[in-house]
Amino acid sequence: IEPPEKPLQAEEWNRLRESFGSPEIFEEVMFNNMVRCNSPIDVAKSLLTHVAQSNGDVAYNLLIKYLALCVQQGQTSEIHDVYDIMKIRFRILESGAYNLLIRGLSNSDQWRMALTLLEEVKKIMIPSRTNYECCIKAASCHQEMNLAFELYHEMLAKDLVPTLDVLQAFFDFSRGMKGAELQKELFGILLYLRENQIYPHKTFMRSIKLWFESIPGGNWRGHLTSIKDSGQCPVCNHQLEDSDLTEEEYNNLRERIIRDVIHGTDTFRKTSPQVGLAHCTGVKVFPVSLFLQLRKSLVLLCFLQLFDAVNCLAKENARLLVLGRKHMLVNSSNWKREIMKEMQNKADFFFAENISEDDAFLLYATLQSGKHCKFVTRDFLRDHKACLSDSLTRHLFRKWQRGHQISKKMFLSVFIQQPALRYDCVIQTTGDTWHIPYKDTFEEKYSYRVPRKWLCIQQK
Amino acid sequence: MQSANVLLKKIVRSSVLPFAAQHGMKKDLFPLSRTLSLSPCLKQDNSRSPSEKLDLDAWKKVMKSGLQEEVSETVSERKELSALAAAREILEMWRLAGRSVPENISEEQLKTFMDCPSKSAKKKYLKYLHLKELHKKNDKRKMEEKRERRLETVSKTDETRSKSFVCLWANCMDKAYSWRVAQSMIFGQPLVFDMSYEKDMSVREVANTVRQIVLSESCNRRSLDPFHIHFCNFKDDSLYHKEFIKHYKEAWGKLLITVTDQCYTDVFPKDKLIYLTADSPKVMKTFDHDKIYIVGSMVDKSIKTGVSLARAKRLGLETAALPLEKYLLWNAGAKNLTLDQMMHILLTLKDTGDWKAALEFVPKRKHYGFVSKPVHELKKTLNLINTLKLGKRQEEVRKQFAKNYSRKLTQK
Repeated sequence: IEPPEKPLQAEEWNRLRESFGSPEIFEEVMFNNMVRCNSPIDVAKSLLTHVAQSNGDVAYNLLIKYLALCVQQGQTSEIHDVYDIMKIRFRILESGAYNLLIRGLSNSDQWRMALTLLEEVKKIMIPSRTNYECCIKAASCHQEMNLAFELYHEMLAKDLVPTLDVLQAFFDFSRGMKGAELQKELFGILLYLRENQIYPHKTFMRSIKLWFESIPGGNWRGHLTSIKDSGQCPVCNHQLEDSDLTEEEYNNLRERIIRDVIHGTDTFRKTSPQVGLAHCTGVKVFPVSLFLQLRKSLVLLCFLQLFDAVNCLAKENARLLVLGRKHMLVNSSNWKREIMKEMQNKADFFFAENISEDDAFLLYATLQSGKHCKFVTRDFLRDHKACLSDSLTRHLFRKWQRGHQISKKMFLSVFIQQPALRYDCVIQTTGDTWHIPYKDTFEEKYSYRVPRKWLCIQQK
Repeated sequence: MQSANVLLKKIVRSSVLPFAAQHGMKKDLFPLSRTLSLSPCLKQDNSRSPSEKLDLDAWKKVMKSGLQEEVSETVSERKELSALAAAREILEMWRLAGRSVPENISEEQLKTFMDCPSKSAKKKYLKYLHLKELHKKNDKRKMEEKRERRLETVSKTDETRSKSFVCLWANCMDKAYSWRVAQSMIFGQPLVFDMSYEKDMSVREVANTVRQIVLSESCNRRSLDPFHIHFCNFKDDSLYHKEFIKHYKEAWGKLLITVTDQCYTDVFPKDKLIYLTADSPKVMKTFDHDKIYIVGSMVDKSIKTGVSLARAKRLGLETAALPLEKYLLWNAGAKNLTLDQMMHILLTLKDTGDWKAALEFVPKRKHYGFVSKPVHELKKTLNLINTLKLGKRQEEVRKQFAKNYSRKLTQK
């Protein structure tokens, strides 16, 4: 049913209600439609009046829906009235009402009221991140940056993840403002992005750039650029951080992978320990620098690929270890024995049990061989990443993967090597320069793709 | 929608026309109007005299006025609210806001609710309680209807005789079943439930597991040639134990099954054991009457692949999976079946050895139907479809490969 355009009299509502299929939910449906069509608030009021006069009471869910309509249209005084009524009528309010109230009030000149509401919410539960966001935006919009940052830190302390929107608001609203403290806080946000390997999108990047350039007396200049393969910034000739992990990080990651991924809760789940052991000793014998790995899917293609890949990499004088399963040794139409023999001359092979997971071996062998060792697979190893228990190690894993995985593009050519990145794709600074990778669009489709575009900011 | 509009217009016309005409006459608002068309009439609707105008904020007065006394009460009560009471109030408000929240919640449930680690966990738990409550209410209503109906029919017939007959019959059947199971405890083929998965499961999953085992035990008892059921690795005072007692009550001590805290490898010779798990690479071909099959009693909602396979590997046992792929055209869902389905399948296999009859117990939603042709033929057609689909691309790849390869050869 379509909501009427004008306020109706009681009997008119009655008639509408009777014509509706199920009269018991008529008001609810009507209010939902009003919110959807953004009807004038007077119509909603007239319906409320009708309900109040016929029942002597308005149910909580109708009040909420009316509130939603008021918030949608920014009717501050109405929001206040509804809040007063709710306060009188009900002992406490639930999260839905608070969300609406905070959102409605933070956009008005009574935004401080939203802060008191936030305090109220804290008494009964942990406020949601949107609650914080509304308050932070309101505070920074009114140039109360200290308050905004206080809320921001409180939010982080409660393990809530801020959206890029809020972070962008910080940069937008502190444009042209002075203060070492403020500057430190905003650098803190950039470091937060770095630590969590979050890339800003284009408009966010623009806000950052404008903020830097607006710092009074800072003399910052920003340029959009893309980094050379060697890891050098073409604008300021600065060499970006390389993708190698530090010794400590590397050892840490290796231990965690062995503990969480390969052994996991049960060594027998991924493989069996005897095989693992045999493999360990095998690895210590060869200092391999490159690994190849086979996937069981697309066997024929993979086989041709494997042959090609082994040949191609052997020419580069790399030490190769090819991981496979025992079934590959059986002569079949897919796995020709002669070609296998030929390959075995060029590379070392290891064949695991048919039922054990070869990815785990791949990880183990690569990590055991040392930091210089790289591996080839087109698997993204997501399920192994998921086995790692904390996000910090996961980030290390991603970083290591970016630097050490050589992936192949399928179909276009059988083996085009996609080299591992030499530099680390993450927000970085040297004090007088900042390099910020950014995404072209707001929603980048693939999470495994790292941005190729950079913002270079340097101080003159 | 349209009919509502039409109706609206009708309402407006019928209610406003006489009214407007009346006032128009008196106050000369419509000097021209004896022949009012609908559209000006609608416009006039709003510009009625102020006394007749809708009081849009009337509802606020109603809301504020009716509750003065109650307010004073609530203020005094407000002082001290324990955490539980506060949670209860929030739930009440959520219910008023139209979320799926149960009407009544016990102290214990409230505590579980508060212990939920995240908001979504809380929401899920509430929804579960809500649905449970709805089901319970429905069942109750149906029971009552049934009772009424029965009262009507019973009053017509001779009640005492039919009742005692049913009683006697049920009693006899129980005895007959018990005899059969007792026999199987001496001569029957053992079937092992491995009860060592407690720490891999949540509390809900353990409860579901026990429910499934209770169902399988009952269908085993009713079968012509029951298994001798063993619960191995069963610890007293474990969650399993508590749940079993909840289901069986005093009957738990009288069940005709073997419960032990030993491992199956200690009870039976190792070479006779076969661990049934969906992750096994080996597929069961026939049901072997000399072997002892092990079923892991685990409900695995989060699909932890390979947990039971790992257990079998550790103990060096043979494993097997049901030949689901071979006989069924699989549609969707995981290949792990519930314990009672497993029991039905094993019992049917034991009695008849007929895979088709046994696999009738696989839920219909999980498969399209039985495979009519031999599998390799089906696979051929599948491959044909795949090559037709991918054909062009594969051709491209091959060409590209040849080109690249020759180029590389010439380069070096």
